[in-house]
Formats: sequence, structure tokens, C-alpha cells
Amino acid sequence: MSRDAVVVPGATLGAEWVDDVLLAGPDDEVCFRLPDPIDRLNLRRLVLGRQTELAQSGFRPGGAVALRLPPSMAFVTHLLAIWRGGGQAILLDHRLTDYEVRRAIERLVPQVVVSPERPVQSGLRTFVEVDTDLASYSGHPAGTSHAVVQLSSGSTGPSKVIGRTADDLVTEVLRYTQIDGVPQRGERLILLPSMVHVLGLVGGLLYGLHAGVELQPPARLTGDAIVQAIGAATTPATVLGVPFHIGLLASVQDPPWLPQFKRMTTGGELVQAAVSRAFEEKYGVPLGNMYGMTEVGVIGTDLYGAHRPAIRPAPGISVRVVDGELQVARAESPYLGLSDPTRWSDGWLHTRDAGVVDSQTGLVSIKGRLDSQVSVGGLKVDLTEVEAALSSLRGVEAAVVAFDGAITAYVQLNQPRSLVDLEAELAQQLATYKRPRSVHLLNQLPRTTTGKLVRDVSTLRKAVS
Amino acid sequence: MTLTPPPPGRAEILTWLAGLGPRPPDAERLDSMELAWLVHQVEQQYGVALDDDQLERMSTIDDAVAVLAEVLTSHV
Repeated sequence: MSRDAVVVPGATLGAEWVDDVLLAGPDDEVCFRLPDPIDRLNLRRLVLGRQTELAQSGFRPGGAVALRLPPSMAFVTHLLAIWRGGGQAILLDHRLTDYEVRRAIERLVPQVVVSPERPVQSGLRTFVEVDTDLASYSGHPAGTSHAVVQLSSGSTGPSKVIGRTADDLVTEVLRYTQIDGVPQRGERLILLPSMVHVLGLVGGLLYGLHAGVELQPPARLTGDAIVQAIGAATTPATVLGVPFHIGLLASVQDPPWLPQFKRMTTGGELVQAAVSRAFEEKYGVPLGNMYGMTEVGVIGTDLYGAHRPAIRPAPGISVRVVDGELQVARAESPYLGLSDPTRWSDGWLHTRDAGVVDSQTGLVSIKGRLDSQVSVGGLKVDLTEVEAALSSLRGVEAAVVAFDGAITAYVQLNQPRSLVDLEAELAQQLATYKRPRSVHLLNQLPRTTTGKLVRDVSTLRKAVS
Repeated sequence: MTLTPPPPGRAEILTWLAGLGPRPPDAERLDSMELAWLVHQVEQQYGVALDDDQLERMSTIDDAVAVLAEVLTSHV
């Protein structure tokens, strides 16, 4: 591959990091099994081709490109091409609505937006084939020198858009190499989480490329398909997923003997003890746990399941607890634009997770959220975003959104509207995974004596009944 | 001889979904995780894989009952 390193405006690391850290290695080393193998030589050729396409569409070093793609080789090759071309990749989950994407594009002014050429019927596939459409937008350079920009749930207000520099991504990739229990060169990673989000992106794609680990998504997101992917080769296989995927594997009836199955590692949320026990009894391999955030990447791990539910801070990560909240050392604010001092201040990122650090062992226990963020199948949803979207709809006087195992909305109207209409309008604004599973229309939402909306779930349920 | 169980009704589907955790009793729409879980259950208990078109038609519990009745009856 040519070494025509691109100078990245404002960044301390030139674009050669993509070649040095991710694409370097023997030409015939397999990077992906889809199930057909894609080796490094082929991957490099694909990336070079994408660089040409992006340049023809108006992408220049220092510019931003928005990727609105499902997990696919198109996503991988465009992402690497953007970075190799000295640009910023804005990652938009393909499940976001047109409304959500439009707002992101207006704020982040990419030079090019890459989308599927036609709607993708992905079924239960975790990795799809897509033809892409490149739309040219602005001629502006990116607003910051971050290599990747991701949106947290709720894309308005301060501290909602997260940026990470190339230095930071490389540091995290190298951090993974120091963690005992991660897959090694020549082994396979059965990748289940989306590469658009931090666990699949850095823990899966970037670490895999760096370390020479083959990335192998299963054909479908079912227990049988995951078992088949593990058994598809004799080389050791680690499954990376979220707790839902443990449930799939734990409930496979009579799985075959899988001596190559080495470990399953999940992130996203705590795993119920009964589920982890059922999994370990069935497969006889360790069930590891990871804890991290979009802003930092991996923060701590317990890859042998030895400290469950606690985790040990990853190498190079410093943590502390202030007023019950876990904080992570972070020299710069990871947020674009205004930084909310309650999210980052004085070199510390406020995780908004309640935590305890054991002074003897250094192990960290996470005790749950301190704000309104919930996890839906590993995807983070801020209930205030759902509430704001509902409240903005015509005819809605007030809305309360709560989580009682699922996102549930309670709505008070000030003019007649059907539930079907409300839900259809909301579907234009919010991605499916963010939408309430049930919406209750009430004549009057419960309020405190001072007029504040009551958020207690049992009171809200009583008001419905 | 192995007897194939009859297609699941609404109550059985709700029991399967309960395996994922608590769910609002009045939630009719299936989310993507529930859909994946149902497909997995059908694979495990009937040995039948559903195709994309069948999945597209399963957006609610009643849809799932109807599609599974059609698929599993023709399978038998």
C-alpha cells in the first residue's frame, strides 16, 4: 500500500496510523470470514477504492463523512478510507430515523454522507451486503480534529455528541492488547454487537484488525447460527456480545461439543446470575464481562468471570468515586461543542453510574444509573429524549416516560388525538429501539402538590388502572 | 415416531417472551430483540428457520401467531 501519509489538520497523529496500527500484516492473513475469507491484501485494495470514490464525491483531508450504514464490508472499508484520507467519520446508527439523521447532519456538516443505495432488508443478519450511495454535502472542513464522532441518545444540548481522536483510538486498541483473556493472533472473534457502537467498533473491529484476529459474524442472530459460527473452524473462538446473546446460547438445546469455544465476553449491562450459571454449565467456558462507555471505550474487565459482578480497571485507566458516582480520568473533554461540567470537569469524566471502588483490591462494582439512561438490548436510550419527542407532538399537554422492564409512556392530551396517530408521528422522530413499548393516554397525569409530574412507576400504573 | 408439537398460540408466545424478562402486559408490538428471540425459540423447538419475508410480517404478537401457524402447519 502506498505510504502517501495524509496530514490531518489539527491532529497530532497523521493518517498513517491506519496503515501502521490496523492494516499492517501479512497479505494472506484473513481479517474477515463472511463466511468467504477476506485477507489483508484484499482489504487494502477495497479501502483504496473507497478513498477514490470518497474523493470524487468531495471528501478532502480534514473533512467529515457521515456513515449511515448497517454493519457491512461497506461500513468497514468506508470507515478505514475516511481515516486513511485524513478525515473524520461520523457514525450514525442505520436504525435512526430520517429526522434524527437530518438533525445530526445539520449540526456536524459532513462533506459526504454514505447511505445504502436502497432499503436494506437485514432480517436477523448481523452483517449485511450493501451497495452504497455517496451524497455530496458541504465543502466545509470538520469542526474538530476527532477521528470518530458518535451521538449519544438525545442529540441536542451539551455533551451529547462524542468525539475521539486517532490517538485515543490507538491508545484503546493497545490497551486491549494488555488485557489478559482477549483473543490472540490466528484466533477468531464471533462478533455480535454492531460495529457502529464502541464495543463492536474498538473491541471487535479495530482490535481484531490490529491483533490479527479473524472477525466472523454469524449468518443470523440465533443460537444455532452462533453455535455454527463457533464450530465453522478449529481455531479458538471468542464470542463478543451483550447479555441477550448469552440467553440465546444458554437456551440452545443439545449444542455440539465445541472444543474451540474459548470464551464469551459481554458488555452493556449486568448479567443475571442464573443466566450466567446456565451458560457456563452448558459450554464449560468462562463468561467474561466488560464495562465501558462511548466516551472512553473499555474502562474495566473481568474476562475470566472471577470477580463477577465487579470489574478490574483496564490498564492505563484511573477511576475514582465522588459522591457515589464513578469517574474516569480523561485529560480532555470528549464532547463536541459546549461541555456540561456535570459530564466532564477538571480531567474527570462523570460516568453517571453509581459505583464503589474496593480500597483493598481496586475492583470496581457498578450499582446502576444515576440518571435517566436505560439499556435496550445493549443500546443506550435516554428517557428524557423520548419524553421530549413525545411532548413536542401536536396535542400533547405533558408526557412522562418511565422504564419498568420496557420503555413506557404516559401522556396527557390537550386536544383529541388517536393513539395510532401519536405513535405513527413519533415513529418519524425516534428510532424503533427508542420508542415506548406501550403508550397510555390519561385524562390527567399524576402531579405532586406543587404541580410537578410524578415519575414513580407504581403511581403511574395506578393512574392507568 | 416423533410428534411435532402444534404451532404456538398467543399464550405460548407470551411465555417465550417472558423468558427475556418483564414486558408490559399491553405491549402488542414486537421489538427486534423479541423477534430474534422468537425465531430462536422456533428453531430450537421446531427445527424450522424462518426467512426474511416471514420475519417482515411479524411485527405484533398476533402477526407472529398467524405467521407461525402458517409456517409450522405447512412444515408438518
